Amino acid sequence: MTSAIHTEKLTKDYGAGRGIFALDLEVSEGEVFGFLGPNGAGKTTTIKLLMGLTHATHGSATVFGLDADREAVAVKHRVGYVPGELPQFGGWRGSEIVAYIAGLRGDIDDAEVEAIAKRLDLDLGRKYREYSHGNKQKLALLLAFTPKPALLILDEPTSGLDPLHQQEFYRLVRDARTRGATIFISSHVLSEVEQICDRVGIVREGHLATVGTLDELTGIRAHRVRIEFADAPPAERLRSLNGFEGLAIDGRQVTGLYRGSFDELLGAIAGARVATLESREPTLEEVFLSYYSGATK
Amino acid sequence: MTLFRLALRSHRTGAIATAVIGGFAGFINSVAYVSVAGTTHAERLVFAHEMALVGQQLSYLLPRPVQLDTIGGYLTWRAFSVVAIIYAVWAMLAATGAGRGDEEKGLTEAWLTAGVARARWLGTRTAAFGVAAAASIVVTLAGTALGAAIANDPLALPAVSAELLPLLALTLWGFGVGLVVAQLVTTRRVASVTGGIVIVALFTLNSALRAGADPGALKWLSPFYLFDRSAPLLADGSVDVPATIAGLAVAAVLVALSVWAFGHRDVGGALIRGRAAADRQRRRPAADPLLRIPVLAGVDQQRGWILGWGIAMAVLGYFLSSLARTIVDGFKDIPAMQIYLQRAGIGGYADVVGVIWFSTALLLIAIFVVAQVNAWAADDAEGRLEMVLAAGASRARIVLERIAALLVAAGVVAVVSSVGVYLAGKAFDIPVPADRLALATALVLPVVFALGAIGHALVGWRPRLAVLLVAAVAVISYFTQEFAPLFGWPDWVGRTSFFVLYGTPMTSIDWGGAATLMAIGIAGTGLALASMRRRDVGS
Repeated sequence: MTSAIHTEKLTKDYGAGRGIFALDLEVSEGEVFGFLGPNGAGKTTTIKLLMGLTHATHGSATVFGLDADREAVAVKHRVGYVPGELPQFGGWRGSEIVAYIAGLRGDIDDAEVEAIAKRLDLDLGRKYREYSHGNKQKLALLLAFTPKPALLILDEPTSGLDPLHQQEFYRLVRDARTRGATIFISSHVLSEVEQICDRVGIVREGHLATVGTLDELTGIRAHRVRIEFADAPPAERLRSLNGFEGLAIDGRQVTGLYRGSFDELLGAIAGARVATLESREPTLEEVFLSYYSGATK
Repeated sequence: MTLFRLALRSHRTGAIATAVIGGFAGFINSVAYVSVAGTTHAERLVFAHEMALVGQQLSYLLPRPVQLDTIGGYLTWRAFSVVAIIYAVWAMLAATGAGRGDEEKGLTEAWLTAGVARARWLGTRTAAFGVAAAASIVVTLAGTALGAAIANDPLALPAVSAELLPLLALTLWGFGVGLVVAQLVTTRRVASVTGGIVIVALFTLNSALRAGADPGALKWLSPFYLFDRSAPLLADGSVDVPATIAGLAVAAVLVALSVWAFGHRDVGGALIRGRAAADRQRRRPAADPLLRIPVLAGVDQQRGWILGWGIAMAVLGYFLSSLARTIVDGFKDIPAMQIYLQRAGIGGYADVVGVIWFSTALLLIAIFVVAQVNAWAADDAEGRLEMVLAAGASRARIVLERIAALLVAAGVVAVVSSVGVYLAGKAFDIPVPADRLALATALVLPVVFALGAIGHALVGWRPRLAVLLVAAVAVISYFTQEFAPLFGWPDWVGRTSFFVLYGTPMTSIDWGGAATLMAIGIAGTGLALASMRRRDVGS
């Protein structure tokens, strides 16, 4: 399989440890690749380098074999892009923005615009400044998906979308994948990446920490669990569970980061009187710290 | 205090710019007076007599000349009348920024959600502007006093200081107008245009009064009338306290009205807002074909803005051209002015149009270019450049398209304004040769090309500084054109001005100047291409 994205020692050094450093990355054609990292990790910097918007300090990046910097125009004709920070188009109507970008690209079909606008429930007749954040995001998605590009580079694309339209976005990604497109998606939401990605790269403090399939990175799947028991908790059974990190039993309350099967957890507390059971997705930083502290033990 | 400091900071650039322009204007006019009026009392009496005759012809633009045999009288007539307009316009623009621009950027919302009351928000912005304006005016007055001292004709310090209050009252009045208008519309641009129309209307009201018409009690509406009533630099002059207090009181009322309106409207909305029409949702791209055509797309995006500039300049062109006959006939009997007209190459009515109108038109077109440079800088800061690049446009294409679109837009503005001049010629029986007018209009484009290309090179290098620097090039060009002949500066100094390089094509065409401007434009475009290629976008 050929590479859609290939980087070698790609570095953008803003000084003071900010930027991305010596990034070696390979994304295959037809793959959905999740680029995970906490805020400020270097995700957007990497994307801007891939898009030829910023120049690398060292190293190189190619997209479909084209140099992302020197052949940026040719690259962008094969790419659909959602920026991390939405632009301001002031008093323009959505329909005018689409017409303008269509004029620049030359490969946007009006019928496709109509279809995607309908799927995202986006009114192009309104002025951009009147759009909510979610509608601005939908317009950015529409502009990225409409040309049916070979590669989609999406920087935190679900930001501002309501759950209903997040699902529609996932369907758009699956459709694009079905027709053979490659998707490079940055996110700091683990569950989003789990939904759609084949492989994941985790970046932290400007360095690529790891790359693998979700199955290979089993450690990154975790839940922050808090159980309040009506009586004394079944401490021994809980301690015997695999994957309960940082298990803390404080009176009737049990907390910890759980990576194991929920069947086993429910089995362990069966018979005990549970007052409250909470399970939430941990922040990426929590997962990351836990994952790597575990790996170095 | 944090809010006040930030508010003060937001007026910093405007305050510095007006202080530099005002201080320079005051300084140069002080020095110029001694140079052109002479040093003996007899010389100055002759000068005053001649200028008084000139002044009567220009009463639409300047106040009636009084005591032109003294530096104080001259500065009141020639310098502070113009400085007053600059401060009023700046204040209006600053207010539309505070009242609407910050809202567009989301700053107002951020402060309000942080617990700042609406009244406090606008009150603090107004107070900060008052401090910034006062500081700027002090610099202007200091520049004026310094110029007079250097010219060995020092001004009395109390008299110069007294000029602060009427000028501040007028400035705060301009701020009040801008703030009120900002409550009634939804964008800063519309607020600025509307505020500009209000200021021009009230200036014209005072102009009519200066020219001898009696608008009755209406005159009290014009802050320029209130300002004219104070003349502390005259020998027996003073500050008109009731007029100054009235100016300050109107400013306070306008600010209070704005605070009330801000309290009664939605953030992001206008005070009076119609209900949204229940129209069908639109799902397809706009049908406007121009949006898909290179260069024309850039022009089409700002069609209203371009047309507005063109019409405003056409009206001004009509008005100034209509004065051509009066000016030439009025100057004929003044020996010194005959020499001046001769030096300026003015022999007939059409020459006046060439000199007076086209120097004004060039200044306005230069402001138009500065506004475009500002828009280019904003394209990057607001993420539009990133989107355009992501759509597959090359960096070189963006530079070339922008400059081409600027030339087309400026061409439209210049042509529309020249139509106004041509119509004035027809209406007032001033023979304006159409072919010369067309050529003079076309030769505006090399000036636009040079200024725009330099502006773009600067945008690629330092976007935040670009607007200030290109505005400085335009202002220095204008003043060099004005003062180089007055002070007998060497020819090469004059040739550094873009306006001097344009020359007076209604009288004689400076092809060398036009070629130089083209060369500057080509070099600037090359630099713009290089700087755009090298820069990081959106970081």
